Amino acid sequence: MEGAAAAWTGAEARTLPEAIAILSRSLPDGPSPEIFRRAKFNRPEAAPALWRLLFRVLSPLREDCAAALLGPGDQAHWVKVVLHSYGYPRPALAQLPEDGSQGSRELLLAFSWLMARGPLLEWVLSQTCMRLGDQVPTCECEALASPGLAALQVDAGGSVDLRFLQWLMGKLRFRWRSLICSQQEQCALLSKIHTYTRGCHRDQNLGHLSVTETKMLRDPEGSQKLLQALEQENARLEAALEWRRYELVFWKWMDTVLGACPPECHAVPTFLPRIPERGNGELELLARELQALQEELREQVLSRRQAWETQVGGLGCGPEWHAARQALEQAVEQELLALRRSWEQDRGPSLFEGPHRLAKIKAGTAGSQGLPVAEVIRALRSQEAILEVMLCWLQGQCRQELARLAGAVPQLIWILPPGC
Amino acid sequence: MLRGDSGRRLVAELQGALDACAERQRQLERSLRVSRRLLQAWEPAGTSALEPPPGSGTKEEDPSPACTPSPQDFKELELLTQALEKAVQVRKGVSKTGKKTRMSSLQSGTVAASPGTTASALPQASSQAGHCSSRTRPTKGIHQTVVPAKDHPEHRLLSVRDRPHAVHIRARGTRLEPSHGEQMTPSASPHAAETFTLKEKGTLLQLPLAFRKAASRNSCLWTQLNSTQTSDATDATSAAKTRFLQKMQMASSTSSSRFSAVEVEMEVQCLQKACALLRLRMEEELSAAPVDWMQEYRCLLTLEGLQAMVEQCLHKLQELRAAQTEQLPGPCLIGRPLRASLPCGSRVCTSWGPQLLLYSSTQELQTLATLRLRVAMLEQQVHLEKVLMAELLPMVSTQEPRGPAWLALCRAAHSLLCEGGERFLTILQEDPAD
Repeated sequence: MEGAAAAWTGAEARTLPEAIAILSRSLPDGPSPEIFRRAKFNRPEAAPALWRLLFRVLSPLREDCAAALLGPGDQAHWVKVVLHSYGYPRPALAQLPEDGSQGSRELLLAFSWLMARGPLLEWVLSQTCMRLGDQVPTCECEALASPGLAALQVDAGGSVDLRFLQWLMGKLRFRWRSLICSQQEQCALLSKIHTYTRGCHRDQNLGHLSVTETKMLRDPEGSQKLLQALEQENARLEAALEWRRYELVFWKWMDTVLGACPPECHAVPTFLPRIPERGNGELELLARELQALQEELREQVLSRRQAWETQVGGLGCGPEWHAARQALEQAVEQELLALRRSWEQDRGPSLFEGPHRLAKIKAGTAGSQGLPVAEVIRALRSQEAILEVMLCWLQGQCRQELARLAGAVPQLIWILPPGC
Repeated sequence: MLRGDSGRRLVAELQGALDACAERQRQLERSLRVSRRLLQAWEPAGTSALEPPPGSGTKEEDPSPACTPSPQDFKELELLTQALEKAVQVRKGVSKTGKKTRMSSLQSGTVAASPGTTASALPQASSQAGHCSSRTRPTKGIHQTVVPAKDHPEHRLLSVRDRPHAVHIRARGTRLEPSHGEQMTPSASPHAAETFTLKEKGTLLQLPLAFRKAASRNSCLWTQLNSTQTSDATDATSAAKTRFLQKMQMASSTSSSRFSAVEVEMEVQCLQKACALLRLRMEEELSAAPVDWMQEYRCLLTLEGLQAMVEQCLHKLQELRAAQTEQLPGPCLIGRPLRASLPCGSRVCTSWGPQLLLYSSTQELQTLATLRLRVAMLEQQVHLEKVLMAELLPMVSTQEPRGPAWLALCRAAHSLLCEGGERFLTILQEDPAD
């Protein structure tokens, strides 16, 4: 222990190894404490483990999906991209080779940077926690299909017929319909299982078994693995709770790690060029939409204000009128504040991005701790309304544009489809 | 008809969307299989060949209704299993000798979780039920009645009991006394299958002890993790973290813009939402017919307020534009923008760990799930619409000459862009007069 302690610097040499050990225990597949120590001295053998750790922490997928998709080099590249998009301040990261041969100190700094910005440990634990209960399906597969993670594999064929696109769209619509159907069926089955097992769970809040638990009883062979995983998670949670007492030591040590870095060389790094149209396209579209809205509102307000002035001009300025006006103004202000809050408030991750567990209760009983589904439905309906508005507006823009283009050609009659 | 690059991009996007759907469908099918299997009768693990074909399991009743064991059978089964449990307890207890004879006649009833044991003998109607039944013997052939070897009754029952994962039957011994005697008559009468269905016996299940302990420890730990979070790190730790972040920032020579790419993304989404909500509200106000001057004035005030908010949004947008242009060049992803997944300092998650969602009816759950899918579908549609717009509109506007091929392109573009590919319009071209 003496030799290892001597390798650490700082006054709290005794508790630093403990702190690192606890950190390592709290991470899923966390690197060993030795890795952290070597990373301070930028030893190359520590780099692959830290790349893996960063990938694990940053990727939105569960571990089995993510690792299967990308090789280590691609993982490293992806980590770089994500860290850059989060605003990682040090350019040295982008210069690291992606084969995992060096850069462990920079990776350690990157990891600590993430830890310092927010509750990383709790978040990782939450994302990787065991889902013993039943969930509404999440969009994990969306991330899977996003070109960010999966390589964009497109045949370098010739030109594409538009009818092929139409066919693909139809196929997509059909798939969604059958997806919704299957989902309805799954919900019905879930509901049955929950009803039939009511009263089995010791936990009063839950009251019934989930599919995973029922399956475990049905097929006991898998229960050993479940139990092991559960116990591993418990160990990580205990470590995370302890970590809060040791954190300060870790941060003091990280200051020394940062100090051990050589000063930056200010060479301009060579990066991949940004692809400007993507981001700017979105902003352009949004700007157009907002400007169109502004224009409409301006017209309406102008005409109504004029009408109002001419109409009301004769009413006079009696005290009741004044009081009524003030009351109205306040009421409108409150409403508009509420409106603003409705879009500013929900910035956080939606409910479905985190783990949740469905529990069936008797209608009318108040759940002691839990979110009633009615609230979630309300939130989803407002999301739905917003998206429909957005889609409608986009389609309207297209219609206008196409009409404009077709209008340039004389003698054309467009007969719109029925139901338009 | 489409040039190579844009065509490829569109095909790739649509194909990606299709693949995402297919993946969801696969996951859903997996879950459906699991759930259906659980709702059917629970066969012992070894008899996998006896699983009925997957298509038949959707109903809660047995797959072949003609062979449904009567409710009477189920009652008898339940009483039998209760009697067994009682007998096991008694056997564990003081008197062993007297019960052994009963045990040997009881040997047949084991629950399906123990592999290798199958259906068992069923005693005659109990007086508790009040009527004597003629049991229908299930003829579907799946539930073969194999009477376990009478030599090892105790072993089987012990093995059921001792295995930590076995299904434990909750003792309801008190009710059994009157009928206990009746049930013990060993019967050589035709056996009906004893099967375990969730519908009938679900409430008898119990999770194994080790699992229960681990699960309760788990929820306890999550609660602790959430509760100590509010008191949060000590001031010293927070200060240390802030110092570290500042040093990291200074150590880099370049000055970064106010917003990182992910933050710009989030703000843009926020503004998109704002725009949609403002538009919705505006349309509400415009369609309302004011009855008196107060309502009219209120409408006017609201519209003016909305106008002010739109201006603020536009201003914010300018800031974001500026932030985006002054951002450092760096590695970036081609394709869809990355969803911000990590919590930043400003966003605080109130509770970690599994959160409970309470529902009270199947209808509610279905509504929730459908809405969730619909929102995901709409998000995808909006994204596809933007992509299609970016590719198709320029093509329509630049293609010359404006002949029949161009008209076909227009028509196809209109259907894809304005109708979601669902409907088509008709284009008529008048012939020139001469």
